[in-house]
Amino acid sequence: MALNLSTPEVESREQRLGSITGYFGTQKDMAAKGCAGCLGNRKRCFTTSSSCAHTHALSLLGPIEGALVVDHAPTGCGAGIINFSIGRIYAKEKGLGHYKIVSTDLREQDTVFGATDKLRATIRAAYERHKPEIIFVTTSCVSSIIGDDVWSVVQEMREELPVPVGFAAVEGIKSKIWASGFDAYCHAVSDAILTEPRKKTDSVNYIAFNEFGRELLDPLIERLGYKVVYLTGNSTMEDYRAASQSALSFGQCGAQSSYLAGALEQKFGVKYFQSHLPFGGIGFERFYRDIAKFLGKEDVAETVIAEERAKYGPELARLREVLAGKTALIALGASYAYEYSRILRELGITPKHAVAYHYDPRLDNQSDDLVAAAADALELDDDIDTTVNDAQELETYLLVKREKPDLILSRAHGASAWGALCGVPAVEGRISLHIFGYPGLVALGRVIEEELANRNFVRKLGAVFRSPFTEEFERRDPHSFFEDEGDGAIG
Amino acid sequence: MKSCIVEQPRTACAIGGFYTALAIPGIVPVLHCGPGCVSQSAALLASANGAQNAHPFNEHIIPCTDFGEADVVFGGGERLRKNIENVARSYKADMILAINGCSAEIVGDDNEEVARGFSGGDIPVLAVEAAGFRGNNLYGHSQVLKAILNHVEPTGKAVGGQVNVWGVAPFYDTFWAGTLEKIGEALTEAGLAPNIIYGRNGGLDKVKAVPSAEFNLLLGPWVDLDIVRLLKERFGTPYFHYPAIPVGPTETARFLRELGEFAGLDRNRVETRAKEGEERYYHYIRRSLLWVYRCRALPKRYYINSGASTALSLHRYLVNDMGLIPCKIFLPEDVPEEHQERVEGYFRDVELDSPYDVVFTGDGGLAAQEIAASGRPKWSLFYFGSVWDEPLSNNERIPFLSVSAPQGNVMAMDKTYFGYDGALRLYSDYYEQVASKGLRTS
Repeated sequence: MALNLSTPEVESREQRLGSITGYFGTQKDMAAKGCAGCLGNRKRCFTTSSSCAHTHALSLLGPIEGALVVDHAPTGCGAGIINFSIGRIYAKEKGLGHYKIVSTDLREQDTVFGATDKLRATIRAAYERHKPEIIFVTTSCVSSIIGDDVWSVVQEMREELPVPVGFAAVEGIKSKIWASGFDAYCHAVSDAILTEPRKKTDSVNYIAFNEFGRELLDPLIERLGYKVVYLTGNSTMEDYRAASQSALSFGQCGAQSSYLAGALEQKFGVKYFQSHLPFGGIGFERFYRDIAKFLGKEDVAETVIAEERAKYGPELARLREVLAGKTALIALGASYAYEYSRILRELGITPKHAVAYHYDPRLDNQSDDLVAAAADALELDDDIDTTVNDAQELETYLLVKREKPDLILSRAHGASAWGALCGVPAVEGRISLHIFGYPGLVALGRVIEEELANRNFVRKLGAVFRSPFTEEFERRDPHSFFEDEGDGAIG
Repeated sequence: MKSCIVEQPRTACAIGGFYTALAIPGIVPVLHCGPGCVSQSAALLASANGAQNAHPFNEHIIPCTDFGEADVVFGGGERLRKNIENVARSYKADMILAINGCSAEIVGDDNEEVARGFSGGDIPVLAVEAAGFRGNNLYGHSQVLKAILNHVEPTGKAVGGQVNVWGVAPFYDTFWAGTLEKIGEALTEAGLAPNIIYGRNGGLDKVKAVPSAEFNLLLGPWVDLDIVRLLKERFGTPYFHYPAIPVGPTETARFLRELGEFAGLDRNRVETRAKEGEERYYHYIRRSLLWVYRCRALPKRYYINSGASTALSLHRYLVNDMGLIPCKIFLPEDVPEEHQERVEGYFRDVELDSPYDVVFTGDGGLAAQEIAASGRPKWSLFYFGSVWDEPLSNNERIPFLSVSAPQGNVMAMDKTYFGYDGALRLYSDYYEQVASKGLRTS
């Protein structure tokens, strides 16, 4: 399905892809229903705090080098960005400062009279203070409900200011899926920065939060005669402008990368590979063969794959022996929940349950390629009990207590801490190039090996755990929060 | 139109007042706001502010209706009611707060009516309005406290020596937990019976005991002034307002003496405590002097860019005990206009006659603009701010301490700068920075 790249506002994942935040069943069932276009979303009678699209658009627009974001919102809607901006200032190698995010500080009177004048004044003042290379204007719940015509102001400012002005309509109420904020970033970047290719170059695009771990990826792409254009945090406008010249794109996951890769494919014919993500050994081999075939370098691929197997095979065999029989519970994003199910099996670990923060039955590429979780189910016969919840950690907590895994593999949204509180070792589910190929697989195996080699911290923490919940709650089925019978209306 | 740049926020929005509820064990906030509102406050007030999280109800299980487009159209009151019902069945809660955020307020969802629907039940449910467009987390803090304290019934009689402690905004004041523990100890030592509603030993029983205090102690320049006034009005409890959380020997002794006078404490006991504290403090200071005065240029001037309470505590210590001179003090906290003159007066009340500005602003980025352009040699300055200010300090090699929300990669744990011992922490944090970032002369 084509993206609506000419409209100012991005469509949410629910509308565009039929993505969901409520499901309980198996990976195979969900994949099959997703492919058949009949995957329903289940709603909950009780919800806890999650995350919003707004934050996740700011978190990716902010780090573009030279960018400034004017957030048409109460100041609090930009308070959370510090969690992301901190990452940049402590990554000292580039000497970059914080994200530049200026708020229009919407107040009560603005909700009555509107605040487009204030928005204009803020954009001008912010430009004067920081002299950015590009400005992005973002909307919020408040600006949207009061009906401010932000797009018109953006168009005016494009005439007035000497730098590009992008627009991201990204109010938190619009989507239950925070990854819709990634799409808003992609839509804004696509509209404001991407340009027609001057020429085709021997490059491939990698779209991700950051370029950490690139030392694993770069040499293997160079073996194919290509270099990687990184469209990640701290990328420059020039990097984004170069993207249309590449031969193909791939990304860290469907959630973060799909829309931009889809836009590059739709606008400039840059092929988007998304069915086989390059993580772990199996993932790498499938991915590498896919792109090598596309680039006409199949023979190189077979040589490289053989080398990688030979290099890491013995250590992998040792790790499999050490980790055999261990069990894990996974709580990660829409792609990584299932990537890790496969990767853990490569290490000899049995994943008992995968919690995914949402699920996309399809992505933004032009072809009918399966999403990675469905490809694994179909091609590898992979399957796992699975829950889709938007970081509904009460469910995850009950799952941890029910499954009693040897470890929990998660990140960012609180599940790891619940594991630790209950005495279950928590391993960071590192994403992106940290788990690229065989070296990433072996590195993960070693981390797990060492984590399990001394469990004293969580063992003693677990021993003093006292549940803050009622007995009735403790007896609840982790999936009893759904208020319908499942397979309801799509969306 | 006034300055229209607001960047580098040092406060979260009103919804962040839920932390005041979470700081009181047994109270569970149920938020009627967007799915990301909790995480916005959680970043600035907790995780990126001293590596804190709430416990036992942490940020990822805070009940929230995750307000969406459908609620704008159809109203979300019914979903709020369902969430509260589930919390009552699932969480060990002594009290539930139904808190409205921006969207719920604009569309007019009536959380008071929802709360009333639970009246007569086992667990009290109170409504709180905390729309982000009405104010910051300190407004939210006040809204939460007022709702809770308006619900408290008079106890009829005062308990001898009982003193309630106010003025410290939980979580936002990064060192709140350690500070309140140490204030409690100091008050006990002084012969009083502290009643502190927040933290490890707080809870609804402490809240219920509030009306039986002999007096309320307000420590801080303006936050909770409305609360002690409310308590005076409702229960007739007098209050003693000391404008700064005391840090260092000068302020701590002054605080103890004024408190002693107000509460009629034994004068000898107060003086003995002040003398002991001072002796211990100077013992450790003297043991550091060879290192401090060892081949380094010592900064004499400082900038502060922080919340008013933290700024005032630091400022009084830096001037009175460390012998430093302020360049300028920025308070990016949106201090309400009605308090500004009073607050500025507290900053002038130090042992130094030297001109400097106190700037009330909502723009966290203002200080960095001015410091970068100040023209002073950077080694001669010390900069107190938040993690937003850290890049300037790193790039210009200005000795720097993160002291105010969001503090960044600092673990607060039970840390505090309160009193005599706390001043030793601040003194050592300060000179560690001077040593690592300042100018060496050999």
